[in-house]
Amino acid sequence: MKKLFLSAAFAALALVSCNNEGSAVNTVETMKTPQMENFDKAFKSLGDPQNRPTEEERKRNTSELSDRRKALLVPASKELILSTGVTEAELTRKTGGDMSQIIVWATQIYMQKSDEIRKNIKSDK
Amino acid sequence: MKKILSILGIAASMAAYAQGTLVINNYTIYDYRGEVIAHNLFAPCYPRVVNNTPIIVPANSNTGTGTQLQYDNFRDQYTSSLYPMAAWSVATSPNSTTIRPWDHPALVPGGTFSNNTRWGMSKFGMVYAGTNNNVVGFNADIAIAGNPCYTYSDFFTTPSGANSAEMFTITSGSNVTTYLQLY
Repeated sequence: MKKLFLSAAFAALALVSCNNEGSAVNTVETMKTPQMENFDKAFKSLGDPQNRPTEEERKRNTSELSDRRKALLVPASKELILSTGVTEAELTRKTGGDMSQIIVWATQIYMQKSDEIRKNIKSDK
Repeated sequence: MKKILSILGIAASMAAYAQGTLVINNYTIYDYRGEVIAHNLFAPCYPRVVNNTPIIVPANSNTGTGTQLQYDNFRDQYTSSLYPMAAWSVATSPNSTTIRPWDHPALVPGGTFSNNTRWGMSKFGMVYAGTNNNVVGFNADIAIAGNPCYTYSDFFTTPSGANSAEMFTITSGSNVTTYLQLY
């Protein structure tokens, strides 16, 4: 009986420790801010059927993402920029509302944050 | 008029800037296996710089998971990218191809190859994650739109329509990023 108890306790301990291990696995994916998450989703959504390039867009002679599709990235980009403490007025002043500038700025912020998370994960280990 | 403008545009971007950043976002459940070519956008389209060993971007490796392929330039990718390329296959003409290490003087930012090439196309085939088994119907040659050297489409969709791939740029001033997206 005592033995059984002991082994049950041991099994329980083992389970708990395994559980902890799972929760300690941090990745860029799990540690992203909500604004980063939305920025990702926006980029990924370019592949959704309704967001794919239209016949008209595919006839263009430029490699640049079309304005219609850039517009899909702008709200999440703005959100990400504002989340760093930049004000709406600053954002407008710096970019002049230019979609490419907004997206590129947000991408830089995203990459920087992503790098920071990666470094923090490394130093935790 | 439109044509002249776009030629001027390409010329201006060519003269001023190097190949720019390449990002590969693989959102699929398959591994990307292929090559990416940076080349001169004017006939005869040389120099041309290709990865020397196949690039593999595993399933679900993208900016969302922090595991996208990102090559800021031919040199720095070796130290900063998760997918370091130790050497590039550099062609200066159809008959002259040389393997150059990542830190070769002509490949560094400001070097001849760096200054005269842009990311222009990718030839790839998707495989089931962690295997060598091709995903039937999910392989293609794609190139940026308006590429005079490789006239492949910039958008590809599998016969079933379930998966697609595309190549595009996002440009702001001097900052050109070329995206290869696999959905």
